[in-house]
Amino acid sequence: MLEGLVSPENLSLSYADMSVPERLKWLQQHQQQEVLSLSSNDSPDLLQILQFHGSNNDELLQSTFSHFQMVGSGFGTNYNMGFGHSHEAMDGCISRTSSCQIHPPDTMGVMLKNSEENRAISLKNKRKSEVKTREEEKTEKKIKVEAETESNISNKEASSDTSKETSKGASQIQKLDYIHVRARRGEATDRHSLAERARREKISKKMKYLQDLVPGCNTVTGKAGVLDEIINYVQSLQRQVEFLSMKLAVINPELELGVEDLSVKQFQAAYFTNFPVVIASKPSVMVDVPLFPLDQQGSLNLSVSNPNQTSIDAPSESWETQSQSLFASVLR
Amino acid sequence: MERQTINKNKRVFSAEPTKLSPSEVFTRKYTSHLVPALKKLNMDKNSPQINQLTVKHEVDMALALSAQEFAWSRFLLEKLSSSNNPTTTISSSSNGTRIPERSCKEDEDGEIEEKLRELQKLLPGGEEMNVEEMLIEIGNYIKCLELQTSALKSIVQDTT
Repeated sequence: MLEGLVSPENLSLSYADMSVPERLKWLQQHQQQEVLSLSSNDSPDLLQILQFHGSNNDELLQSTFSHFQMVGSGFGTNYNMGFGHSHEAMDGCISRTSSCQIHPPDTMGVMLKNSEENRAISLKNKRKSEVKTREEEKTEKKIKVEAETESNISNKEASSDTSKETSKGASQIQKLDYIHVRARRGEATDRHSLAERARREKISKKMKYLQDLVPGCNTVTGKAGVLDEIINYVQSLQRQVEFLSMKLAVINPELELGVEDLSVKQFQAAYFTNFPVVIASKPSVMVDVPLFPLDQQGSLNLSVSNPNQTSIDAPSESWETQSQSLFASVLR
Repeated sequence: MERQTINKNKRVFSAEPTKLSPSEVFTRKYTSHLVPALKKLNMDKNSPQINQLTVKHEVDMALALSAQEFAWSRFLLEKLSSSNNPTTTISSSSNGTRIPERSCKEDEDGEIEEKLRELQKLLPGGEEMNVEEMLIEIGNYIKCLELQTSALKSIVQDTT
């Protein structure tokens, strides 16, 4: 009955004091509380109005309703007098028409001083971040409604706010499939910076992973330092590989000679019998492996004299498994 | 095998391994690529001295073949196959000195970008990726380089 008489646009636009999105947001937060506080009263009509108007941008109306409730229904006529031009007083209900103008706060200030002041102060004190930190389950539906109404009324700023709010409640509202970023206090809120921030967060996540990977990165702070360490580490690894391949090039021929010689001799016998010996000798080799085998530069044993080693090298498969088992233990 | 009894709780290295960690898989692949290649090198050119570059080539080839799930390995393979002699991308870098720490905070972003670009140069094919991809690939590359280093070390150790 009453719902059809009120148009949200008029009410919100005539409220020139504060910006629309701020009002909306603030109202979202408060109306739930008000509804809860009033739910105990036996006035379904008023409650209905309140709940409906919760989606509208009308703080003053709400405050008057609550006050009305507190004061009592007998006060209704007085309230209605102060309200607007064309209204129809009803028992216990306040009616409004589409042309109803809401007076600015000062006219109603006398009656609603306390609540109004509180609300104004709290509105000023509230920043967007605090709004965002509210619990989401209460405002879930309101956000949806807000999003729907906002899309009609609002400008770009408000829409980005709602998109952020919807993104905040994304776990509950699954209508959009965006990458969800939380805008912190004091940060820009346009789409571009949001995307930038999402990208930057992804990059910093990967940097953290790299930090764990590269030894010695934990002490350094800041992206540049970590990147420095990573670069140096990669370079040193590459240099190591080069050095080792150089060494391999030198000793390779001898290795192969040994293989050829012994492959003729005792292929399978060597494979099986020498295994335990080989395994036993392995640990000592593993332990001595330095990061940079510089100490072995002068001690390249070009002649494969050690029977243990040659027996390892003889069968290629066994040698491979040996190396692999060696690697496995090294890697652990 | 004795090794199995010794390391019961750890990975079992039997003739038919069932579960292998990625690093083990990589190492196995790597050695299985490299060793035959080295042997082949020796067989083919018995008299002339084995060129250092060719060994390096084989080493890099083995690396690329063992890590084919990564993007950088594709680029590496391309580079290797395009030239007989290995390119100088993975040679000792020109920046022998450590990169100095940033001094000025104002240039922070610029410096960071510069460093990212350097990192891209180090990674084969890094320049063709965007930053996010590159950071992921660098992680893989580092891991594979480490495994390659230890594999080479063990091979060298085995023969000396």
